[in-house]
Amino acid sequence: MLRLVKRFNEANPDVNILMQRMDWSTYYNKLFVSGMGGRAPELFVLQTLAIPRFARARFVRPIDDLVAGQNPIDIADLDPNVWQAVHVGEHHYGLPLDIWPMGMYYNKKLFREAGLVDASGEPKPPTNRAEFMDAVHRLTRMRQFDTGPQQQWGFTFTYFESNLYTLMCQFGGEFFTPDLSRCIINNPKNVAALQFCVDLIRKEHCAPPPENFDSWIGFRQGKVGIVFEGIYMLADLQKQRDLEYAGAPAPQIGDRPGVWGGSHNLCIRADLTGKELDATWRFIKFLSDNSLDWAAGGQVPVRRSLRDSARFRSMEVQSQFARQIANVFYLPRLPFIFEFQTEFNSAVEKALRGSSSPQEALDLAAANLNKIIDRDREAGA
Amino acid sequence: MTLMSPATRKVLKSYSGYLFVVPYLALFGLFLLFPLLYGLGLSFYKRELLSVVPAHFTGLNNYTEAMHDAYFWKSLFATLRFVAICAPLTVTLALTIAIGLSRVKGRMQTLLRAAYFAPTVLTVSVAGIVWRWFYNSEFGLFNAYLKHVGMKAPWLTNTGWALASIAIMTLWWTVGGPTVVLLAGVHNIPPQYHEAASLDGADGWLAIRHITLPLLRPVLLFVIVMNIIGSFQVFGQTFMITRGGPEMSTRSLVQYIYETAFNNYRMGYAAALSWLLFLIIAVFSAVQFRLMREK
Repeated sequence: MLRLVKRFNEANPDVNILMQRMDWSTYYNKLFVSGMGGRAPELFVLQTLAIPRFARARFVRPIDDLVAGQNPIDIADLDPNVWQAVHVGEHHYGLPLDIWPMGMYYNKKLFREAGLVDASGEPKPPTNRAEFMDAVHRLTRMRQFDTGPQQQWGFTFTYFESNLYTLMCQFGGEFFTPDLSRCIINNPKNVAALQFCVDLIRKEHCAPPPENFDSWIGFRQGKVGIVFEGIYMLADLQKQRDLEYAGAPAPQIGDRPGVWGGSHNLCIRADLTGKELDATWRFIKFLSDNSLDWAAGGQVPVRRSLRDSARFRSMEVQSQFARQIANVFYLPRLPFIFEFQTEFNSAVEKALRGSSSPQEALDLAAANLNKIIDRDREAGA
Repeated sequence: MTLMSPATRKVLKSYSGYLFVVPYLALFGLFLLFPLLYGLGLSFYKRELLSVVPAHFTGLNNYTEAMHDAYFWKSLFATLRFVAICAPLTVTLALTIAIGLSRVKGRMQTLLRAAYFAPTVLTVSVAGIVWRWFYNSEFGLFNAYLKHVGMKAPWLTNTGWALASIAIMTLWWTVGGPTVVLLAGVHNIPPQYHEAASLDGADGWLAIRHITLPLLRPVLLFVIVMNIIGSFQVFGQTFMITRGGPEMSTRSLVQYIYETAFNNYRMGYAAALSWLLFLIIAVFSAVQFRLMREK
């Protein structure tokens, strides 16, 4: 990104972009507080999940007029679900730069050892429930590692939110009523999805209990055959030369295809006008046009025209993950998104650890979220 | 040459003291007292940054909500557990080290004192990240050693272990401060007391129990009170190492307050939770002062 900023500054001597990097864990707090004090940057990145709350706080400028203005961007170049995800009320509040669909990473060496190969002897990633179950069973076994005999796992849950949201969406589960007036996270389809995951650990014994296993590190150490993770973890794997890995779309385990995903969106401060607004939009368009450079670091550009290029197709994992974009499910668009994530992750964690049954865990999450909805309604939502 | 009347001199003398404390009082008032009182006022309001309804007075509603909030009780319980594990261990270890160091003479004492104090100069983020690696179940230092005896400990991944693991890290990180304070206290005890006791045959544990500890009482009270207050305010370590997990077992009250204010933007409710924490700490401190009061 820094290189892109430098290139833009060189090509646009009348504009000077200063970029500031921040840790995600405190980014939104700082951004929100700076917005409250009128000190927010002219341009900032928002993940799709954060847009509704910043839109409600009126910190973000709608971009519908800019998209169709003198320096237009072809929205038809974006997938409809990606553009729809930045829509709140009557406006669109940011230009999606990339998309990070969750996908499947698998260990090619372990696949070959387990005989999970196609006719030409190449590792064959599972694409449906039957193949997935067969693969995780065949991959799970005791084996000798450098450090001694240890269990090799077929699958492991890495990020609870992305893994379970994917499966719940695939099982046809819903989270809220269409008008967002009630939380229905405890509906039978979500319970079934969560039960499927619990069974992978407790009944099928193909995934380790989360109590004492660092899942992602376990995959990197070659102790796990399959993980579901975001495309953003690719950079981590690219550093590891001794791991034979590949990426593929997540298998369809439920009744419909679907994966958890999100986007980085370029958003403009609400009060920006005149030359500053022009310069900001010029920079946004530059980033969007050049988002293939951004993709090289482990991202998927949202522009279809860029994904059709030979350069993108040569990015092996990114292009595999990009096949799922039409099936990406964004998190629900809520002003109280962080509270939703807390309740969601807490319910999943309890169920996977065996502290609660899936039904009990999701019932509690639904009850807590309904209280939050009532409070939010009172706040004038 | 004019001479000041005794009355004028008296007035000036009494005011000069205030002049010396003015700089501190100004900062104290601006950055502590004012926010404290502002926070108290805020705790009686419903002020939510995402709300389109303006802030309005709700009386004790925020406090009532806290009493029925399961997350408040869970985070308070986690905090109390942390205080119960960490504070006694820190004070006992600091006292033991201080007494031990007081018997080491010369440069070696300086060297050891610096060694014990060294971790304290690290920021919580550095200490937290390093210990998160130490505790990692797959490649962590501790499990690498345990593997030699066929064991693997769930340092941060088990709800029963995680808080204790963070307390151990805190002990390593913070024990240097109270050690230095207690060591200074031990040095301030006149050596004649120990000499006299030695002549009467009271050495070792007897001397510690009947001379060192009673004479250290004011310093010890200070260390205990400060340590308990610090433990109640635990946040950085849990945030850096576990983010409050697993299953919120290490989510401290301060972390819950932080998330309520800066993730969920419920400023009024967060202010009420802060004041509840303040009251809890105040009660604990008052009880300690009373228990350890000089007779």
